[in-house]
Amino acid sequence: MKKMLSLVLAAALLLSLVPAAMADGMADWEPFAENVTITVPVYDRGQAGVPNVESNYWTDWIQENFGNKYNITVKYVAIPRTSVMEKYSMLAAGEDLPTILMEYDYPKVTQWAADGYLATFDMAEFAKVAPTYYNRMVENNQLTYTQINGETYFAAALRPYYDTTYTFQTFVRMDWLEQIGYDHVPVTTTEYNEAMLKIKEAGICEYPAGGVMVTGVGSDQNYAWRTWPLDEKEWAMYGDYNTPALGWEPNYKLLKNENYKFNAGLTNPEYYLTNTEDEKTNFINGKSYSYGSYISANMDWLTAFYEANPDAKLAIAPVNTKVDEQAGSNPGYRTDNPFGMMVGFSNFATPEQIKAAWMYMEWLTQDENLFTFQWGVEGETFKYDDKGLPVSVSDYNGDYKMGYNNNKDYWCITVEARQAGTIEDIISNNLPHDLPQDFTEDIIAWYHDKEAVRDAGWAIDNAKFSVAMEAEAEYQTTLVNKYKEYRDKLTMCAPEEFDALYEQYAQEYLDAGWQEIIDERAEQYEAGFSTHLLNVTAEEVDLSK
Amino acid sequence: MRSNKTKAPSLREHTTWKKAFQRDWHLYLMLLIPVALVVIFNYAAYPGLRMVFMDYKPAKGYAGSKWVGWATFEKVFRDKDFLRALKNSLIFNLLDLVVSFPMPIILALMLNELRFPRFKKVTQTILYLPHFLSWVIVGSVAYQLFKPSSGIVNVLLMKWGWISEGIPFLTEKNHWAVTYLLVGVWQGMGWGTIIYLAAITGISGELYEAAMIDGASRMQRIWHITLPGIRSTIVVLLIMNLGKIMGSNYERLDVFANTQVRDYQYQLAIYIYEKGLANSKFSMATAVGLFQSMVGLMLVLISDRFAKALGEDGLM
Repeated sequence: MKKMLSLVLAAALLLSLVPAAMADGMADWEPFAENVTITVPVYDRGQAGVPNVESNYWTDWIQENFGNKYNITVKYVAIPRTSVMEKYSMLAAGEDLPTILMEYDYPKVTQWAADGYLATFDMAEFAKVAPTYYNRMVENNQLTYTQINGETYFAAALRPYYDTTYTFQTFVRMDWLEQIGYDHVPVTTTEYNEAMLKIKEAGICEYPAGGVMVTGVGSDQNYAWRTWPLDEKEWAMYGDYNTPALGWEPNYKLLKNENYKFNAGLTNPEYYLTNTEDEKTNFINGKSYSYGSYISANMDWLTAFYEANPDAKLAIAPVNTKVDEQAGSNPGYRTDNPFGMMVGFSNFATPEQIKAAWMYMEWLTQDENLFTFQWGVEGETFKYDDKGLPVSVSDYNGDYKMGYNNNKDYWCITVEARQAGTIEDIISNNLPHDLPQDFTEDIIAWYHDKEAVRDAGWAIDNAKFSVAMEAEAEYQTTLVNKYKEYRDKLTMCAPEEFDALYEQYAQEYLDAGWQEIIDERAEQYEAGFSTHLLNVTAEEVDLSK
Repeated sequence: MRSNKTKAPSLREHTTWKKAFQRDWHLYLMLLIPVALVVIFNYAAYPGLRMVFMDYKPAKGYAGSKWVGWATFEKVFRDKDFLRALKNSLIFNLLDLVVSFPMPIILALMLNELRFPRFKKVTQTILYLPHFLSWVIVGSVAYQLFKPSSGIVNVLLMKWGWISEGIPFLTEKNHWAVTYLLVGVWQGMGWGTIIYLAAITGISGELYEAAMIDGASRMQRIWHITLPGIRSTIVVLLIMNLGKIMGSNYERLDVFANTQVRDYQYQLAIYIYEKGLANSKFSMATAVGLFQSMVGLMLVLISDRFAKALGEDGLM
């Protein structure tokens, strides 16, 4: 059955390649006889100091350079980042969905398909209009993700380095470690816990492990706590990112460790009242050992840290390469999705609007257009370095001011990251170089270590289902909220109460909808509607190779 | 007291609608604004209520969504989380009524007794101010004050040696309940005095003069003149507050939320948001909202009848 499916998919892929190879894309485009208006969603992150997301220099630039040329009016609609689904629901209720709908989370977009938000389309037609975009999907094996229930709903944006993501780094207090006799940063769970205890006992920091409130999906990832080899069906049932797997062994081990840290006085007893801003402030004020952040050329919090702690020495937390038998953890980690934005098209849109939306995507995918949208204007928003590579002017505040993260929320429709030069160049350009410490070499080394860990078979993807998961849509929000409540109670309970309480909450969690979710996943896995567990070899990593 | 009431002259006896409109057309014109707002925001949405009997999907609209009869209500009433939210809402709203309702009356009586006008005005302004603070600000300030180990109140109490460890004002459910209710009282009591103070100004000064001549003490004047004088206002406001017994303020609950107090904090507004709106289950959210409104309306009608049976004016 699986072989048959693979053959059908491969045949469909080959057939669909033909029109792409034949199509000229932009060369064939003609301006629309009558003006066509498309609406494009853009995240509104509520960030101060960035231009109005719906109307700014760069939205005008799109209109002038793309829209006017093809008689298309491009309008942008702000989608609050913290309430994406609610906003789309409101727009759908008013029959005012944007022409393009896009999101990162696969369950969300499959739900849109199930709820009738999205139009189906012919991928061959898409390939004719947008061959660059299409061919890139083929090259990156992304076509698998474009269908739900056998119908094509999506185009997939590119996510470079999705299985070796380096953009989020954890900074730790190396000076504290040195004070307690360490010459390296601990990476395994056992070693980390021991180091935190020593820091606390030395009176360096009251609650070195810090802590922050669990805010929702993505919290408490259990990839490093899984026992290998893992049965593929079990992986498909539990190995998810959006709904925490309370009751599954890896989650039990993870929370048991949280409970240990809390009761040992390593975790801030007010962690569940601490938001990410407070967490950052705590680190800057020397009240926690580590802080994790996305890297960028302008990291204000690092500047603030060195001002507050002029003698401090930071280090990048290394990639874990060891299996920790004592704690039950290992180097396993979650890879990102092998796609960026999943891009669909409104069920209310006309064929002309959908074609115009495809043209918009193709136009933005062209190197010269994408480069300008990502970097801006030479001499203003960016300059070239000695190697001839673009470097953003981080404090630019003039007429060409770009949107959040270098217009990322606009060009994410085609690609998820800026790329100029080698990975070493990219990392270097994404870091500040005017601080007391320069982390460029450390993060480059970190990236290569991550590659080694991936190659050793520790990179784990989640199962993705090519059917709408009804139980997931029904219970996910409720379960995430219940999980936040239960996991904090489990973290803070007395160690001797932990097991009984865990069992009780696991049962309540099952009854609240988790059972239905895992049953549905098992059913769809058996029916062949899920992706497969890649070969996780789970070998010890030898970085010397 | 009731016999002392002066009756307003009846327009009906002396004029017609036409004459009244010609004379006061500008007032009627101004009236159009609130009437239009009520029609648009309260009545124009009524046709949307039919979604409670549908499996409403926003993209399919009313025409494309399936009719499901009472299935949504059945599902809601069988949901353990709904029953938990309902129980919490009823308990907290009753407590809120018991704690919050008398406070503005007591405060109004106290303010009315202040004799130094400037002090009275300053006090009133200070008391009104919290009403103008959004719940987001109130919540943030409350957490800064009442965190168990780093909140200013606990830090001070520990520093003075009054307590050895922080009081979990907002992080233990019973303490949270008390703090939540008292912050609500603080936020609303000043503003709540306005109506009572207005009612008090309607009481004839001659009554107080007569009582003073008869040797009534200040407490006696309050008890025998002021309180009876505002009794009908108290009854009307009580009836209106009873209508809110099923209500739930999402903002207030959300800003005081943390995972340790969810046993009490999980009330109907949270249920509606989490299970309904955040999950795009508009039928479910509307069904719960309609249930709240119907129960609220019934309570208002019953309490109105009850008040009338006791000889009060009531609402209608």
